[in-house]
Amino acid sequence: MNRTGIWLAVAALLAVTAAAQSRTAEIEAARDAKTAQLQPEAVTGFESALLEVKQRKIIERLTAGYHGLRVKLGGMATGSGFAAGPELFRDDLLDGQIRVEASALLSTSRWQKYEAGIFAPRLSGGRLLLGLEAVRRDYRALDYYGSGPDSSRASRTAYRLEDTAILGSAAVEPVRHVRIGGTLGGLWTDIGAGRRDEVASTEKIFNEASAPGLAGGTNYLRSGLFGQLDYRDDPAGPKSGGNYVLAHTWYRDESSGAFGFRRWDIDVQQYVPFFNKTRRLAFRARMMMTDTAAGRRVPFYLQPYIGGSDDLRGFRPYRFTDRNAVVYNAEYRWEIFSGLDGALFFDAGKVMPHRGRLSMADLEISPGFGFRFNARNRTFIRLDVGVSHEGAAVWLKFNDPFLPRLFGTGTRQPLY
Amino acid sequence: MRDMKRLAGILLLFVAAAPGAKFYNDDPLIQEPRPRAVLKAASRKVSDYHDILWHTLATPGEKQRPGAPIPARGVNTLGDPMEGAWWERRHYWRRMSLTELKQGPGIASVPAMDGKWTVVSAKTEGITPGFVVLDRHKRRYFVKFDPPSNPEMATGADQISSKIFYALGYHVPENHIVYFSPEILELGQDVTVQDRLGRPHKMTGRDLTEILSRVHQEKDGRYRATASLALPGKPIGPYRYFGTRRDDPNDIVPHEHRRDLRGMHMACAWLDHDDSRSINTLDVLADAPWGQYVRHYQLDFGSTLGSGSDKVNSPRSGGEYLFAWKDAAVQLATFGLAVQRWARADYPKLPAVGRFESAMFDPEHWVPEYPNPAFVNRLPDDDFWMAKQIVNLRDEEIRAIVSTAEYSDARAAEWVLKCLIERRDKIGRAAFRKVLPVDRFELRDGRLEWVDLAATHGLGAPLEIGVRWAAFDNGAGTNRPLPREVTARLPRMDGNGYWVATLTSPSRPRQNVRVYLRKRGDRTQVVGIERTW
Repeated sequence: MNRTGIWLAVAALLAVTAAAQSRTAEIEAARDAKTAQLQPEAVTGFESALLEVKQRKIIERLTAGYHGLRVKLGGMATGSGFAAGPELFRDDLLDGQIRVEASALLSTSRWQKYEAGIFAPRLSGGRLLLGLEAVRRDYRALDYYGSGPDSSRASRTAYRLEDTAILGSAAVEPVRHVRIGGTLGGLWTDIGAGRRDEVASTEKIFNEASAPGLAGGTNYLRSGLFGQLDYRDDPAGPKSGGNYVLAHTWYRDESSGAFGFRRWDIDVQQYVPFFNKTRRLAFRARMMMTDTAAGRRVPFYLQPYIGGSDDLRGFRPYRFTDRNAVVYNAEYRWEIFSGLDGALFFDAGKVMPHRGRLSMADLEISPGFGFRFNARNRTFIRLDVGVSHEGAAVWLKFNDPFLPRLFGTGTRQPLY
Repeated sequence: MRDMKRLAGILLLFVAAAPGAKFYNDDPLIQEPRPRAVLKAASRKVSDYHDILWHTLATPGEKQRPGAPIPARGVNTLGDPMEGAWWERRHYWRRMSLTELKQGPGIASVPAMDGKWTVVSAKTEGITPGFVVLDRHKRRYFVKFDPPSNPEMATGADQISSKIFYALGYHVPENHIVYFSPEILELGQDVTVQDRLGRPHKMTGRDLTEILSRVHQEKDGRYRATASLALPGKPIGPYRYFGTRRDDPNDIVPHEHRRDLRGMHMACAWLDHDDSRSINTLDVLADAPWGQYVRHYQLDFGSTLGSGSDKVNSPRSGGEYLFAWKDAAVQLATFGLAVQRWARADYPKLPAVGRFESAMFDPEHWVPEYPNPAFVNRLPDDDFWMAKQIVNLRDEEIRAIVSTAEYSDARAAEWVLKCLIERRDKIGRAAFRKVLPVDRFELRDGRLEWVDLAATHGLGAPLEIGVRWAAFDNGAGTNRPLPREVTARLPRMDGNGYWVATLTSPSRPRQNVRVYLRKRGDRTQVVGIERTW
C-alpha cells in the first residue's frame, strides 16, 4: 500500500468509526484498524533457534555424535586434570539389546585411559545382564600419603599406576529389585615414579615395607560374586528407597604369589523422604575390607582409600589408605526450586589395618554443604564444600555423590 | 512500516476519543460480530523452552499496575465474553443434561472399531509416545496412552478435564477413551517416523511394537488410550497468553486482558491444570460459509488431576512456579525449614489418580508451572466470572463427568469426585468473598431479582442486600439519584431510558454491583452489570 492509499484508508476508517452507533460497529472499527496493520505471524530469531534445537534434536545429536562417535569429557580419576577424547557409544544395536562403548582419553596432565566394552543389559526381559569390558590406564601421579589412619598430610607423595584389566560380568534378577552375579577377569598392574610438581615420588619417601608393592607390578586373576537389593524409586536420582550391595572379590596373584588377597565391599544406601519427597535424608555406609593369607600382603595401590569428592569431602583425594576402610555419609537434601537442591552433609570415616578396629571411635569427620543442579531428577552439576581439620575442599562434579561407584569391581570405578 | 504504525495510532486514538454512549442499541452483544475472513494466516510453532524462559524471567504482555487496574476486555456489557471463536455460553446459561455433560463436544465421531486403524504417523521418541490413525471412515485421531506405572491416570484425567472445560464454555477436541487390540492397527503406506536423533525412516511393525511396549497394557492384552479427533480446519499453531495474532483481523483484544483467559485461572486451579500454557492450545483455520476464521482451542488435558502424563505430577504442581526468586530465596535461607503448604499434602495410593487432593488446595495461591500473563492479570471479577460457572456444576453432574474416565477402581472415581467437589467449593468461597456474589439478574413482576450464589450453593450466609436507584443518562454517563427508591421494586419509568440499581451489603461496604436497565417501549431489560470491590 502506498502512502496515498494509507491516508485514504485512514480517512475512510475514521468516517466509519465516527459513525459507529452500535457495539458491532465499534468492534468492526477495531477490526478495521487491525486489518490495516496485519502482518505475518512470526517468532523471534531466538525463539526460532530454540525451536530448531528441539525439532532437529540438536542436543541429542551432539550428545549421540556421528554414528555414535562423539567427544567424551571427563571420566578419569581425581587429579588427572581436564580429560577428553573420542568415544564410540552405541546403545541401539540389536534393537537396544546390545550396548558398545569404546573411548580413548587424554588429560591435561597427560594421563591416559583407553577402554572398550560390550554389554547386554536387557536380555531375557531385563532379567539377565552380561558384560565384557577392558581398560588400559596410565595415571601418572596418584596421591599416596602412606598407610594407616595416622598418615600425615605432609607426607603426600605421588606414584604412577599403569594397569590393564579385562572383566567379564554376568548378573541375573531372580526377583524384582534383587540382582546376583559374578565377575571374572585379569588385572595387570605396574607401578612407577609419580610426577607432580612439588610432590615427591612415592618411592622417595616410602619403601616396600611401608608401601607394599612399591617394587613393581603384579598380575592377578580376579573373580568375584556380588548381590544387590535395590528398591530406590529412581536409581539415577533416588529420593526414597534403599540400595544394598555386597561384593566379594578374590585377587589371585599370578606372578609372585605374595600379593594375593580377598576383598569385601559393602555399600548401603537409604533414602528417607518427607514432605512429599521435597526434603529427604540420605544415608550411606561403605565398608571395604581386605584379607590375606598368612604372609601375604595387599599392594598399597589396591588398598581401600577414602577422601575426596564422594566420601570424606573435607579431605584431599586418596587422603587415607589402609587394608580396611569405612565411611559414613549423612545428607539432608532439600529443594530450593525445581531445578536446584541444597544439601547439608556430614561425612565420617577411617581406615584401619585390622578389622578389629572397626568401631565408631577415631573417625575423621567432615561436615559441609552443597548445591545440586538437576534436570529430570538427574544431577548434572554438583558443588560441594567440605570442611575438616585439614582445611576446606571445594568440589565441582557432574554426578550424585552416592552414585558413581558400581557394584563389583568394574573397570569403570574411579580406581579400584 | 512507519506509516502503518501512524495509521494504527491515529485510529486507536480516534476510537478511544470518539464520543459515544455507554450502551448501544445492540448491547448486550451475546455473540461476537461475524468474524472476518482470514486471508492469510501462516502456521507457526512456539518453542516451549523459549516460552518458559520468557515467562519466567519477564512475564510478557501488559501487566496490571497498582491503583489503576485494567479491567477485562472482550466482554459484553454484562461482563461476559461474547460467544465466538474463543468461548461459548454453556452450562451456566443453559443447564446441560447429564448426557450432554458426559458427551462434551460430541460423541458422533467415536472411532470405528469394526475396521482397521491405519497408522499414518507416530511419535516413537519422547516421554509420551503415541500415534495418529485413520479409522475406516478416514477420520483422523491422535492416540495417546497411560504410562505403565499409572494405568488410567492420563487418559482418565483427559476425559474429565476436557468435558469440564467444554461445560465451562471453551472449545476442546472430541476425546474418546478406546480399548483396542494391537491387531486393529495397520501401517499406512510410506509412513515415516523419526528415531531419537530425529532421523527419519520408514515406519515398521517394530516401531509400533516399540511404542506399545512403553505404555500400559490391559490384562486382556488390549490397550486403553485416548483417541482425540482431529480438529476441523487447518492448524496454524498455538496461541499465546499475551498480545494478539498479528495475522488475524478478528483478534483485537490482547490475550492477557481477555476475560475468558483470565478467568481460566480458576478452572485450571480446580483441575490442577498446571500445564496451562501456550503449547497446549491450538489455533485452527475453521471453515465458514463466508471464508475461514481463526478458532481457538484448549488441548491436552492429560496433565491434570494430579497426572503428569508420563508419570504422577510433582507435588510442587500448582503450589509454586518451577522457579520463583522469592520462593527460592526463602528455601535457600531457611534450609528448607519453611515448609510450603503444598508440601504437606497427603495423596492416596491410587495409581489412576496421581497427586490430586483438596485439603491443602488453595485456589487463590494456585499457580501453573510458570507465570501465565492472563492469569497474572486476573481481577476479582474475572475470578467471580469463572467461579460462578464452576459452582454451578452440581455434585451429580460432576459425578456424571467423572464416570466418563471409566476408572476400573471405584476408589479412584470416588477420590476424584470428592476432590473436585471440595475444590469447587473452595473456589466458590474464595471468589465470592471478593465481590458481592449476586448474579442471574432478571426482571420479574416489576422487581429486579437476583440470586445470591454463595447462599444458593451453601458457600456462605445469605447477604443482606440494599438497593439504590438512579436514572442514568446514557449519553453523558451521569446518574440522577432517586432517593425514594430503595427496594428491589423497579422505579417509575416514564418513557424510554436507562436506570441503574446499585446493590450493596452493609457487611461488605467496599463491594457493590451496578445493574443497568434499559426501557424501550414495553420492554425493559438488563443491559449492563458492573462490579466493584
